[in-house]
Amino acid sequence: MLQVYFGDVPPEVAPPGDVIYNTATYFKNVYEDDWITDPFAVRMIKSVDKSTVIDRNLIQSEALGMIPPLMLSGGVKTLLLVYNMPEKIFNASTCGNNCAWWLLRIAAERAKAGGGDVTVNLRHLMHFGRGRFSIRVLNSGTVVHDMAGMVSEAYDALFGGAAVGDAR
Amino acid sequence: MRGSHTIRVGNRRVQFKFTLNRNITVVRGDSATGKTTLISMIAEYERDGQDSGITLSSPKPCCVLEGRTWQRDLSYITDSFVFIDEGNDFIRSHDFARAVKNSDNYYVLATRETLPALPYSVDEVYEIKNETRDRYPIAKRLYSGFEHMYALLPTVIAPDLVIVEDSNSGFEFYRALCAKSGIACVSAGGKSNVLAALKTGTAQRTLVVADGAAFGPEMELVYELALQKGAGLFLPESFEWLVLRSGLVKDDDLPALLANPAAYIESRDYFSWETFFTHELVVRTARSYLAYTKAALNPTYLRDHEMDAITATLPDGLLGRDGAGA
Repeated sequence: MLQVYFGDVPPEVAPPGDVIYNTATYFKNVYEDDWITDPFAVRMIKSVDKSTVIDRNLIQSEALGMIPPLMLSGGVKTLLLVYNMPEKIFNASTCGNNCAWWLLRIAAERAKAGGGDVTVNLRHLMHFGRGRFSIRVLNSGTVVHDMAGMVSEAYDALFGGAAVGDAR
Repeated sequence: MRGSHTIRVGNRRVQFKFTLNRNITVVRGDSATGKTTLISMIAEYERDGQDSGITLSSPKPCCVLEGRTWQRDLSYITDSFVFIDEGNDFIRSHDFARAVKNSDNYYVLATRETLPALPYSVDEVYEIKNETRDRYPIAKRLYSGFEHMYALLPTVIAPDLVIVEDSNSGFEFYRALCAKSGIACVSAGGKSNVLAALKTGTAQRTLVVADGAAFGPEMELVYELALQKGAGLFLPESFEWLVLRSGLVKDDDLPALLANPAAYIESRDYFSWETFFTHELVVRTARSYLAYTKAALNPTYLRDHEMDAITATLPDGLLGRDGAGA
């Protein structure tokens, strides 16, 4: 199942070294060539970036021409990290709503392969569509099945204790 | 800094054109729309100038702020457009909010984070839209610009409940206006409570009235919940902005100010346009029968003539308003 933690991840949920906020920099320094040519990754890159993987070091982008993997979008970089390093918690607010379906797919693929849950960190309300889904919100332990549930859970976690009334 | 400023950044493949109107602009939206490409191009131009192969047209210097030395770096930047890409966690800090508050820079933040410490406007939240055009027979160029994320707000006809963000003068006005039409009106007691009020409300048709000038952080959640509950959103700059537009204040220079507030609002002095409009209304009505305070509404504003003038600035159909609206 996909699990999300809204806001700063406390040490009791995961040690600081396992929580990655700047996913673009992390990707640049840890990604492996084989990640790019994995058939699942090829589909993600095509879907989100509208780009075609030519080989492990070359991608044909509609917008940017021939690019290396480091020029993939921030969203796809994070998806590749989540897919290949599920033991860590990545900042998925670097992903747009066009990545939401893929986060659910990554969690489903991992479950199908007998793996555990996939956990990401969210700092905004990601839109997972108007259909039903299952996501465990670790802040409360609640499993939500639609966007109404996500709104409720996100509100307390993202705004709880913030001095927003003074921010004028 | 004050004013609206148009910036063009381009290379052979992609061209960005956008206008900055206030101290804080937020760019979000789908992945792979070009946010990081835009900021990378500005960083390359900042580093290498024209030698980068990038063209940049801007009335003020453009620079990119990042990393752990952001406070030191920012202390050297004045009267500039400051771009910050996602991945820089300092933008969530109160230190950063304080730096923006007293700054003569305009800030462009590429982030989806809610940023509750920054009072950005719902009108300055954008996504990048791209359009491919044939430039030459063998080459295409991508033309990219900013489009409002919240250009179309959900509306509701004949609400049976109005939730007002404000708890003071603005709320008193809306409560009196709603009473004329038999509409229930409650105060959320601040913008951070609007979502809770909307969530717990059981009315069939709810209208939320909030000050759009500073409602950006709350907007994503409130917008989504409003869609789910079939509620409407009315987000003028602020209640004081409506009063200034009503014609009750007769100052000769006021129409020009309201037509182009950006030209008058100094970012160093006003964290949010809302505080500027409050200041203007207080100063312009001082020692007159319209003397305005935010804490408690001058009863003059509830007389028929004054109330009708303010109501005339509301959109058609809103809260029983008829005729030509704003």
